Parts: sequence; C-alpha cells; structure tokens
Amino acid sequence: MENHEEHHHPPYKFIFMILIVCTGLSWIADVLKESFPGPAWLAVTVLAISTMKASCVMLYFMHLKFERHWKYVLLAPTFILAVGLPLALFPDVGVHYYDVDVPQNPIESRAAGNFHGEAAVEGHAAGTHH
Amino acid sequence: MSHSENSHGSSAPPLKMGLAIPDSKLCMWLFLGTEIMFFTAFIGSYIVLRLGSPGWPSDPKDTHILVLAGGINTFVLILSSYLVVLSHEAMIEKNYRKAWNFMAGTMVLAFVFLGIKSVEYAGKFTHDIVPGHIAEDDEQALAKLVREFDSSRISLLNAIVPGDDDANKKASKLTTGPGEGEAAFDPGMVAAYQKLDKSYGELREAVRAEEIPLHVGVDHELNTLIMDRIEAMKTDEQISPYFHVHEPHPMVYGNVFASTYFLMTGFHAIHVVVGMILFGIVLLQGSKLDETWIDFIENSGLYWHFVDLVWIFLFPLLYIVDFG
Repeated sequence: MENHEEHHHPPYKFIFMILIVCTGLSWIADVLKESFPGPAWLAVTVLAISTMKASCVMLYFMHLKFERHWKYVLLAPTFILAVGLPLALFPDVGVHYYDVDVPQNPIESRAAGNFHGEAAVEGHAAGTHH
Repeated sequence: MSHSENSHGSSAPPLKMGLAIPDSKLCMWLFLGTEIMFFTAFIGSYIVLRLGSPGWPSDPKDTHILVLAGGINTFVLILSSYLVVLSHEAMIEKNYRKAWNFMAGTMVLAFVFLGIKSVEYAGKFTHDIVPGHIAEDDEQALAKLVREFDSSRISLLNAIVPGDDDANKKASKLTTGPGEGEAAFDPGMVAAYQKLDKSYGELREAVRAEEIPLHVGVDHELNTLIMDRIEAMKTDEQISPYFHVHEPHPMVYGNVFASTYFLMTGFHAIHVVVGMILFGIVLLQGSKLDETWIDFIENSGLYWHFVDLVWIFLFPLLYIVDFG
C-alpha cells in the first residue's frame, strides 16, 4: 500500500517561531521563579508552555491535524495508559497518610507525632549541603 | 494465486484492505504508540515519586543541573525537528540535494545535543552524582570519604607492589623489602604511600571517634581539616594519579534523584542515537537519494519529532519545576 495521502503544507516557519518563543518563555519563567506565588504556579506555567509546544509539534510537524480518524483509535489506548499509570500510583506513592520509614526521614519527626514528615522536609530542605 | 484467479475473472478492481496511509507509516505510528507508553511510564513514575518524597534535591549547586544547557538543548532539538520537516518537504518537491542538506543539518544538531548532554553527564560523574554512590547524610558522607581514601591507598600500593598478595602482606613488604627475584620498590612511591596511609589512618580514627564533623559554620561549609587533607593528596604528583576521592557533599534523596535523572535522560539519549542511525542511512545514499526514500524520511521524521516531544517535557520537569 504505497498510495500517498493528500499533502498539506503547514506554516512550518511560523510553528518553529512559536516553539522558539515558548522555549524562551520557559527559560524566563525559570529566571523569574522567585517572583511566582509558589512552586505550584511555576510548575503549572512551564508545563502549560510545554503542552502548547508538544501540541504544535504533534499537530503540525507530525501532521496529526491533517490525519484521518485512525489517529484517535491508535492513540487513545496509549493516552489511557499514560494517564492511568500515574493515577494508579498516586494514592500510595504520591500521597500517603503514613510516615515513610527511610533513614533520611529522622526518627525525631515521627517521635514528635508528625505522621506526614513535614518536620523532616523542613529539616532536609535546610540540610541539602553543598 | 493471482488477483485475476481470486476474483474469478471479474473486471472489478481487487479489494484493498487497511488505511489510506503507507504501511510503513502505520507501523511507525503503532511503534510510537508503544514509545509514548514507555516514556510516560518513566515520566509519570518520576512525578509521583517526586510528589511523594518528603524531600528532593533541587538546588543546582547540589544536583549540578545546568538550566542553560537544558534550554540550549531544547532549542537544538526544536531546530532539528524543523530541519526534518524541511527535508521531507524538499523530498516531495523532488529537490533531493536540498533534502540531503537539511538532513545533514539535523545530524549535526543531533551531535550538538549529545555533546551538551555529555558535558552535563561529565559534571555528574566528576562529583559522583551516580545512583547508589550518593551519601545522603553526614555520617554516610564521612564513611564514603574514608572508604575512598582506603581504595586510593590500595590502588597506590598495588602500583608499588605488583602481584596477588592481599593489601596487608603488600604493606608489610614495603618495610621488609621485595622478595627474591622481585624488582626493588621506587623509594619516592613508597614515601608517597606512607604519606597517604598516614593520612588515611588519621582520618579513619578521627571519624570513628566522631572527632571530625563534616561541616563547620552556619552555611554548612565543609570542614577545612577534611578539605586540606584531600587537597594535600591531590597536589602530590605521585599520589594524585591513584587518588580518587570526591568532596564529601551529602545530598538528601540524591540517589532517587540520580536514578530518575539518568533513567529518563539516558533512555532519551539512546533514542537520539537511534534517530542518528536513521538519518545516517539517508545520508549514506548521497546522490542516489530519490523519491523511493520519501516514506523513510517521513517516518524517520515522525520518530525524531517524538524524541523532541519527550525532551519538551523532560526539560521543565528535570531542570525547572520545583514541587516544593
């Protein structure tokens, strides 16, 4: 089966410029990271920029915008697994009500009745030596 | 069995199964589907691990993460992706020389990407930021320091006294002299060994007796007694080739950081190398490049855009985001 489908000419140069501008914005966000209200804001900002860049690459460089409906059939299972795996791991690994019993987590924080290890986080944030 | 036999002499065109895209392109997309699952498993696990960890090393001084290097590499990959689409366009326009040139540009940029990545990796290896090697507290850092002093001491000893004897037997030979038929020991090397052995012994005892804290001062400055000892060995011409001791910088949760960093960037770099092999196959065609290569270049391009896509997410996640 070697019949070539209809060929489209997306505005490659324009898409390339958008990608460069977005990369610059990510870098500026890192430089101004202290100006963000919190780390979550920085994370949301740079990941939103990355999602926009990824969309541009997939839609135009990979021509998904011009492909037919087979793209949904082919990519839906991978998308479900991609989202499902982190969601499945999140309740146990990402957020847990119990204390993590590792040597890095000082025993004092547990003895003080801190079940979430906040004291350990504060202690270690100050204690990342260099 | 021919089509004419199969259709019992009918003049109707044979049935054609499948999608209206080349088989090779369908296969590439199926492969990319598995690749998406492959990388999202790593990236998803990393995000979950990082969110669930009570701490994470985020200070670039600790992790030796170079945001500028990551940013330049992002630009390099985006530019290379752009050149790939231009190469494909040139192939469709039957301008094969132009397509070859764009492909060569992509190849050069892939080398640039790996070069920058190598510089970053070299920084990690120099500071021993390697999974399983990172001390996570002062006690582990001091134990590692003593262990590295010891292995350096034994390396120097093995250079002076060749053979399969154990270290204690070799050390005693330095005072009793070489055995019958063995070459004389270099007196300068012996003096260097004694200097290193003395320093190692003092350090080990001080650490055992908990007399020597790793840090002094409020800013966690490394103990000058330790640093002076390391410096003295590094500046000794005869000791330094055998002296492989790293500055003892503990990094809390450094091992899980290093594991996830090398897993994701390492697999990504392998994918870059595979892409370079695909481009190399095209470039090897030289002037023989013709329209039969259009599908190959399109599929190689799809693969390369996917490599770019992965990096688009790795860059912020590894270099910028601090989950607090």
